[in-house]
Amino acid sequence: MPVISVDRLPLPNLKAYSCVSVLALSACVYYAIQAIKEPNWNTMSDTGRRATPNDFERYNPGYNGTEADARTVGQFVSDIFTVMIREPVCVWTMINMAFCWLILLGRAVQKLVFGELRVSEHQQLRDKFWNFVFYKFIFVFGIINVQYIDEVLLWCSWFSLLGFLHLLSQLSKDRFEYLSFSPRTPFWSHVKLMALLATIFALSGFMFVVSIFVGFFGGFNTFAFMSAEVILLSIRTLHIIIRYALHLYDIRNEASAPLNSAEESKVWEKRGPISYYAELCFDLTALLIDLVHHLHMLLWSNIFLSMASLVVCMQLRYTGYLFHEIQRKYKKHRNYLWVRNHLEQNYPMATGKELQENSDNCAICWEKMDSARKLPCLHLFHNTCLLSWLEQDTSCPTCRLVLDIQNPSSANMESPELQNDPQENVRRPFNHFFHFDGSRYVSWLPSFSVEVSHVQAIRQNHIAASNSQLDAMARQVQTLFPHIPLSTAVEDLRSTRSVELTVENVLEGRLTAPVIFRETEREPSTNHRPMSVLQGDVEPAGAARNWDEFSTENVECEDTASLGSRFSKSSSEREKILQKRKEHLVHQARRRYIEKQRASTRTELQS
Amino acid sequence: MAGSALRRLMAEYKQLTLNPPEGIIAGPINEENFFEWEALITGPEGTCFEGGVFPAKLVFPPDYPLSPPKMQFTCEMFHPNIYSDGRVCISILHAPGDDPMGYESSAERWSPVQSVEKILLSVISMLAEPNDESGANVDAAKMWRENREEFDRIAEKIVRRTLGIPT
Repeated sequence: MPVISVDRLPLPNLKAYSCVSVLALSACVYYAIQAIKEPNWNTMSDTGRRATPNDFERYNPGYNGTEADARTVGQFVSDIFTVMIREPVCVWTMINMAFCWLILLGRAVQKLVFGELRVSEHQQLRDKFWNFVFYKFIFVFGIINVQYIDEVLLWCSWFSLLGFLHLLSQLSKDRFEYLSFSPRTPFWSHVKLMALLATIFALSGFMFVVSIFVGFFGGFNTFAFMSAEVILLSIRTLHIIIRYALHLYDIRNEASAPLNSAEESKVWEKRGPISYYAELCFDLTALLIDLVHHLHMLLWSNIFLSMASLVVCMQLRYTGYLFHEIQRKYKKHRNYLWVRNHLEQNYPMATGKELQENSDNCAICWEKMDSARKLPCLHLFHNTCLLSWLEQDTSCPTCRLVLDIQNPSSANMESPELQNDPQENVRRPFNHFFHFDGSRYVSWLPSFSVEVSHVQAIRQNHIAASNSQLDAMARQVQTLFPHIPLSTAVEDLRSTRSVELTVENVLEGRLTAPVIFRETEREPSTNHRPMSVLQGDVEPAGAARNWDEFSTENVECEDTASLGSRFSKSSSEREKILQKRKEHLVHQARRRYIEKQRASTRTELQS
Repeated sequence: MAGSALRRLMAEYKQLTLNPPEGIIAGPINEENFFEWEALITGPEGTCFEGGVFPAKLVFPPDYPLSPPKMQFTCEMFHPNIYSDGRVCISILHAPGDDPMGYESSAERWSPVQSVEKILLSVISMLAEPNDESGANVDAAKMWRENREEFDRIAEKIVRRTLGIPT
């Protein structure tokens, strides 16, 4: 992700900016109104678009343009427009106003759909915005090398629209990811976000039509340049929409799960591959289009070698990155397919009887199993859950039995699988830094620096642990008896060589946890009498005061303790209960601590 | 896949609420974001951390439980396996792929059958018996080996501080 830091760019606030824009526009309109009051304003132009039939009336100084004029309002407006088009200052003001409208529209959408933006969203939005502006600046001046102001204007307006939609879709994506972290999002905000995404998608379709239309006149290159970004935008938006839909489906499923759990689990099993393939297709298409777009730009700018080698260099870098990404995705997909085939061929699905015997939930997702795959170690998991785990690690999640999933291509080929890819290990995220000092060329140009850093998930080699069986067994023991430290369990297992025997040892008290782990039952001491003698000379004053508080708080704490056995349906209540439980724990710990100190000082005094 | 992670976290939260292990409380800081939890763990008895209630923050990845969460104490800590910024260095929290210290067997590392409860229990036993081979905090590891009294004194101070008792 390219990261841009802009420090020295002065940005006026929106209110001031829109006020100034509106003022400027009204000044222009006023100028235009004044201008068309002139008798032969239209003759100044050589277009001769309109005759001026009502010259007489316009001589009248008290003439009111809208009411007394025979011309219709529409004509009047178009007159004003004609005047303004002719005046360069007015044109700039109108463009400025259009930008202002766009920003205001964006703000309105933000208020309506997103409400207050979170800090990270703000940050990302800003980064994305400057990034977009920067790349498009390079594109317009460096690659297409536009010569005429009209063309620049057209490209600018095209890209500002596009950028606007890009930013909105990015924002929706961030917000969707955020909402998916919370179980209690109101239904309404999902609807709003979905509506926004659908609108963005529709608009991008419309822009695509426009780009076809323009390309029809402007040639293939223009079409390709224009449409690439649009297609990217629509693909990304569609991707978010589908992910969102799947997520909503998940959430709804959860609500209706008890009703038709068998059916649900069937759908659930199918859902894994669907979402995987959707993800893969969208990612790959987006990357491919991006790659083609960049190659196209590269060829184009090589022919014209316009701005600087820097641009070409950056493009090359980025193209290389895209290429690498695609390669990585492809390898990952091959790995996925391999693991899936391996699963299907080597590990049978559990039979109904086995499922009944094993009444546990799937240990990966903690949900009920209506169908499951069985590993050689007899552990059962959901097919989808198991698949996604084995993609990254080739051992049984429960007992750590190393499964023999070796991709043959990695064994006999030079370029091995993703998981065993040495390149993958060596590759470091690379950064490059670009500083643009505008004031060197023209004093008012801004200066900014861009740091493009590519963060890639570095996957490392998985080393199969051959001597891990002992640890695995110890861990099994520990899951049964968490209070037995791992080292103790391992010690015992060394002699017993069997989980069952060790478990027996623990149960019969032959193997005990070190003293520190033994839990001693404590009863809340309610009959404590403050000992003024001790308090006076040994205890810190603060502690004494605390103790007095606790004796009164005790009553309140006792009934909060019972809250522990409830799991409320309402999230706010859950939060409250959790808070109380935390307070209770701290209170009790404090009380015990003070009590203990008191006891130790007492024994000290006695001796 | 945040949907399935959310369901699993909800299930874990429910379990931790209904059958809380002794001295452990954990749950989302704010249910707006279910992927950030706060946990309170009580120092194990018979150790220098006995009696303290240590708050820690757990941050879960979107593909939980395929990847482990990150854990960081939010109070001051002095322990061989806890970085000075509070991050916990314990093998159960390391993904099977990465091995920062280069000696852990993959059997000790993260697997999706682990849970918040197991992590917290492991952290408690880590408090009881530090692993001074993996020095996340070299000073603490050195002091633990060479000057146990001083270590105990510092731990005692931390315990008092977490309880809000003036030292």
